[in-house]
Amino acid sequence: MGYLAELVVRGVLLGAVYALLALPMSLTFVTVGSIDFALGAYAVLAAAVGSTVGGLAGIAAGLGAALAAAVAMAAIFAGLKRAGVEEPITISLASFGLAVAIGSLILSIWGTRAFMLHSFDDVWVMLGIRISPQSLINFAIGMLLLALVYLLLYRTGLGRMMRAAAINPLGAELSGIPVTTLQTGTFISGGLLGGIAGLLILFSAGLDFTAGLSLTLSCFGAAILLGAHGPIRAFLGGILMGVVEALSSGLASGAVSAIVPLVVIMIVLALGAVGGVRFAGDRP
Amino acid sequence: MLKVTAMAVAAGLFASSASNAQSQAPIKVGAVLSLSGPAAVFGLPERDAIEAVVEEINRTGGVNGRKIELVLHDDKTDPSEAVRGVTQVTRDGVVAIVGPSTGSGILAAGPVAERLRVPLLAPAGTASITDKKNSFYPWVFRVAPSDQTDIHKILADIAKDGKRRIGVFYQEDAYGKVGLDYGQQIAKELGLQIVASVSAAYTATDLTAQATQLREAKPDAVFMQISISALGASFHKAARQVGLDVPLYGNAGLAQKSFLDAMGDSGNGVRVLSIGNLPYEPIDPETKLVTLLKARGKTPQGWGELVGSNGLMAIMAAIKAVKGDLSGPAMRDALETICDFPTYSRGKGCFSKEVHDGWGEDVLVITEVDRGRLKTRP
Repeated sequence: MGYLAELVVRGVLLGAVYALLALPMSLTFVTVGSIDFALGAYAVLAAAVGSTVGGLAGIAAGLGAALAAAVAMAAIFAGLKRAGVEEPITISLASFGLAVAIGSLILSIWGTRAFMLHSFDDVWVMLGIRISPQSLINFAIGMLLLALVYLLLYRTGLGRMMRAAAINPLGAELSGIPVTTLQTGTFISGGLLGGIAGLLILFSAGLDFTAGLSLTLSCFGAAILLGAHGPIRAFLGGILMGVVEALSSGLASGAVSAIVPLVVIMIVLALGAVGGVRFAGDRP
Repeated sequence: MLKVTAMAVAAGLFASSASNAQSQAPIKVGAVLSLSGPAAVFGLPERDAIEAVVEEINRTGGVNGRKIELVLHDDKTDPSEAVRGVTQVTRDGVVAIVGPSTGSGILAAGPVAERLRVPLLAPAGTASITDKKNSFYPWVFRVAPSDQTDIHKILADIAKDGKRRIGVFYQEDAYGKVGLDYGQQIAKELGLQIVASVSAAYTATDLTAQATQLREAKPDAVFMQISISALGASFHKAARQVGLDVPLYGNAGLAQKSFLDAMGDSGNGVRVLSIGNLPYEPIDPETKLVTLLKARGKTPQGWGELVGSNGLMAIMAAIKAVKGDLSGPAMRDALETICDFPTYSRGKGCFSKEVHDGWGEDVLVITEVDRGRLKTRP
């Protein structure tokens, strides 16, 4: 297979990990109208705990740690809301503060070590491309979770309530839908998805203790690329982000390759060709 | 008359007692290091070594009969915080400062050190920190080999093995870019050719595209200008995955235990530049530093401890060389006179008015990863 096609395949596989974090980013955006900047920190925390405990117990412990951190964020959100603070920027800043706190916690417990585990020594050759089985697992888990989130949102009563709360929180509240509970639940599900993403990266490229914020920003870019208004767009945004990054890394030289993904995001946003103002559950 | 004489005697006794108290007071030494942020991988081991050596010096009677008091500040890998740190510890009365940890921190803090007249013992390789064009040149003394020295050592080792085509993977920051520039310049001098160069941000989550681009350029060896162990280990993994099967050389930033741990057994054969081989094959006098660190429950990491202790030992040598009162300017003048003074690293530290790069290639070794350990190459 040609060099270009190889880069596209590698980009799709990379994008699946971004997509996993873009999913909860998009969900939080549509249900709360805010951004959870601690998503990347959940991923790093899961990787740190997972690599320390090791094995299947490590996976469970990593997910548990990410969930616990997300519960803390949900509690902060609920506390702010109870205090009458509902401005999205305040909630975003609170999540940013939590991300910094988690980063400090990781540094104080684990120091400056890198988090990386090895899953497969073998490399599969598919259509002439050498691919790690772990990359395929990442992609498969990404697709599976996308399907689950989609089914939850569009095929269950809970999903209907979530979409109603996203489109019209006041109306949903008046109809008896527990909007605040749904919103805190969204924060917690973000922790679960962030934790899964962190564990997949742990077994793939590994993570640095400083990776939290940059992961969040990459996934923020992925989530808004095609419009942060639904799981499929967020997921595809992640894939597109991965492909653009792989193509620029593989074709351009050093400094240029770092700029290309940002330029693409700016062009897409400036053209306004995608996205729009539609919510997850509204009519086309 | 008797009263005047009595007052004069009392005043004399008081002055003598005050002077005696001052001469017995601890000598304050500053350390402005990156204890958090990306450069904490160096700053924390630097701090560990400095604290261990200060404790040892004080245990054995101090310097010139005076104890050493360390004044520590975390620059958070942030140049503006480094400026604040240098200002603060100087106000606390230090006579010299080890740090800041990073090249950008030193470049930012240099003018402040010049204004406050306190010497900086700089543990970074960034070439420009000791550029004579800097107005603060008299106040900055490098206690690690420079980046050019490091890269020359690596490329000379590659050339020695008869390889000619070099690929470069570097991190997207000043350290990475400057390393690439020096690599191109030194490669030319050694008759080597840089056939491709690729880069990545510190926190890249996949490096297979970069490794693929290098594989396509068909290099004989790849040189990694990386200081982040996760990035280095990730590139190594990506290189194996895409079939980039050539010797990988890491610059000194990768001489970290966390790099070896992250690669696991698959890292066998990767070559890494190092100041000595503190964690795995220390020789005298490195073994003494290992003992001091282990006594404090610290596991030696490598590079950071050696450059940190170099900075402190240069300050100790300068204190001994000062004639008269200790002050920043007196320490600066003394630093320009010290050579071959006691340190915990191999090689010879030497400063003069013309040379503020204290350490050269004799302190460096090429090591090879072998079952999670670094073995010194002959």
